[in-house]
Amino acid sequence: MKKILALLLAMVMVIGLVACGGQEPNTTTEPKNSESGGTVAASSGKTVVYWSMWESTEPQGQAIAQAVEKFAAETGINVDLQFKGRTGIREGLQPALDAGQTIDVFDEDIDRINTTFASYLLDLEELAAANKYEETAVAGLISACREVGGGKLMSIPYQPNIFNFFYNAAIFEEVGVTPPTTWEELLTVCEKIKAAGYTPITCDDAYITSMIGYHLGRLVGEEGVRDIVNNGKWDDPAVVQFANDYAELASKGYFSENIESNVWPAGQNTELALGTAAMYLNGSWLPNEVKDMAGDDFAWGCFSYPEVKNGKTGLEAANFGAQVLAINKNTQIPEEAFQLITYLTKGEADKNLSTMSIGIPADTTNTEWPELLSSVKPVMDSLTTRWTWAVGVESNNDITPAIKENTLKLCGGSITAEQFVSNMMKAAGK
Amino acid sequence: MQKKNRGMIIAFLTPALFFFVMTFVYPIIRTAIMSFYKIDNVTASMDQWSFTGLSNYMKLLTTPVFKTAMLNLLKIWLIGGLIVMSLALLFAVILTSGIKGKKFFRAVIYLPNIVSAVALAVMWQQYVFSNKFGLFKPIADALGFQWLDAGHKFMSLLIAYCFGMVGYHMLIFLSGIESIDTQYYEASTIDGASKPRQFRYITLPLLKGCFKTNITMWTITSAGFFLWSQLFSSVTTDTAVITPLVYLYMQTFGSGNTVTERNAGIGAAIGMLLAFFVVMVFLITNRLFKNDDLEL
Repeated sequence: MKKILALLLAMVMVIGLVACGGQEPNTTTEPKNSESGGTVAASSGKTVVYWSMWESTEPQGQAIAQAVEKFAAETGINVDLQFKGRTGIREGLQPALDAGQTIDVFDEDIDRINTTFASYLLDLEELAAANKYEETAVAGLISACREVGGGKLMSIPYQPNIFNFFYNAAIFEEVGVTPPTTWEELLTVCEKIKAAGYTPITCDDAYITSMIGYHLGRLVGEEGVRDIVNNGKWDDPAVVQFANDYAELASKGYFSENIESNVWPAGQNTELALGTAAMYLNGSWLPNEVKDMAGDDFAWGCFSYPEVKNGKTGLEAANFGAQVLAINKNTQIPEEAFQLITYLTKGEADKNLSTMSIGIPADTTNTEWPELLSSVKPVMDSLTTRWTWAVGVESNNDITPAIKENTLKLCGGSITAEQFVSNMMKAAGK
Repeated sequence: MQKKNRGMIIAFLTPALFFFVMTFVYPIIRTAIMSFYKIDNVTASMDQWSFTGLSNYMKLLTTPVFKTAMLNLLKIWLIGGLIVMSLALLFAVILTSGIKGKKFFRAVIYLPNIVSAVALAVMWQQYVFSNKFGLFKPIADALGFQWLDAGHKFMSLLIAYCFGMVGYHMLIFLSGIESIDTQYYEASTIDGASKPRQFRYITLPLLKGCFKTNITMWTITSAGFFLWSQLFSSVTTDTAVITPLVYLYMQTFGSGNTVTERNAGIGAAIGMLLAFFVVMVFLITNRLFKNDDLEL
């Protein structure tokens, strides 16, 4: 009896282990929901496994899911679409690829894909050339992809974005001001907006490092910013000038009185979107994020971070880029994977993604941008120098928390320009 | 018979032991070894590791932001621990004193434990501590500060975190008090002991085991303090609320939106330091709260 029981238990264990084992790739035949909430389209062809950085509930995720479904129906190629989210990709993609898991296509930010995940990428030059991909792609973004890809096209951009000042055009019109191009003009604009009873500039803790990054970037360029941050040169004249300029904004009351305690998304939601604040340094995803609070009639404007006195860079430089799609170099089905990427980033799918997420289209034949982003186009077209996120000011893990804290304090008027410099020197161990 | 049983024991224990070794023992040993290497990627094969001796530990000991993170952890453990244990014990004593509606109050106090920490944190920072319309705004206005500014963010975080933790530790105290034989209280009442003296000389000594459990559990959860810190400092971390585990994450997976240098070896070293911290607290707690020194 005991032996029979032992045999039965052993069988259950073996069956359990087998059931927990991996599934053979490229064998999906029935429609089903994947574990992470994506969908597997029905077909008898090969299966492209696509790990997406979006959540299935986000507009981008919904648009991609719709496109994948149509792609499978039209081509007969199955797609195992798995929504992993930002942290899911950051934490899970590399271990999964190292473990040899079948993942054909994945996406994330242009810089992370081309640096952190660079050794896993398939060179897309031949596939792009064979499919004449670049004919309808944004040349500047393709060029940016080649730049960060070490001279080769290792990823395909989609959902382009730009990071600059976004403003409430209705307030500007009411006050009678136009977007400033220099620091002096910004001071004048702020003064008039403040006199009219509005808060000139607000921000959230999540984006405050971009404020210092952009100002330093205007003064010394991205390389200069990285030099300061990574070598502890916090007594550099550029830092002193930044601290003085921002201390002046704070002392004149041009920042929100809540700026020091705005934990994202408090500032963008309760100040900018509700019409009490006029300007916010943010990405082109902002109108989408606050659309339910701001309403369809919110008049969005966009302008480049103003030029500063003795600055090294002008209005042509900004952080712009895109999410990018890449193919695993070990994929067994590169053509099908590239076919999927092309489908997602061209024509109807690209247009639908742009509409649903209020984003910038990646296909140049989709000339119509969402109305809320119409003011972004001329700014985007004017950019020639690409900065990375926050102009590299967050490139040193050991100093970023101190930058964030002291910039918030400076903007809130809790510390002086001199204290900012000395606090940063101390934080850098100098 | 014994031989037969031995075969059976081996057959059934082997899978469990195998999985225990693979999922617990092996990762601990690997983490300990990793802490002496520079490793770009947490899953990189060993031939890609470069030996750096004690440099990961030395870097941690000389990095201001990590020292801040350790100090924050210590404050969470000590100040938060005192607040949580005091409130948990107080509520447990009140609920076992024969008040009406015990089940209702017990459920209410425990309720935050069944709500997602993400939802709780968002409620606290976007509503309770809001500087525009927050529930606690009048207090801050009266005292002249903002709840979530750099100088007060840690306090706000601690209040929110403790609010969510009291119920869990209260239940442990509650079960401890309820397991004390009522004869002790009856006898002491006949002898004329007041309620406070009963608490001091009966309840507290007999709750030593519960204190040990609570302190150990609190230490483990404090060492793993991550989510609340992340939620109170979106995207990039703050000096005010950074904890060792947040710094570990930054070193292992990168931080914020910028691509930063990664070193899983430093992450492993932080893991070892935290494990050492937990073990030390456990050993000290065991020494302080011996069960065999009771004299009733």
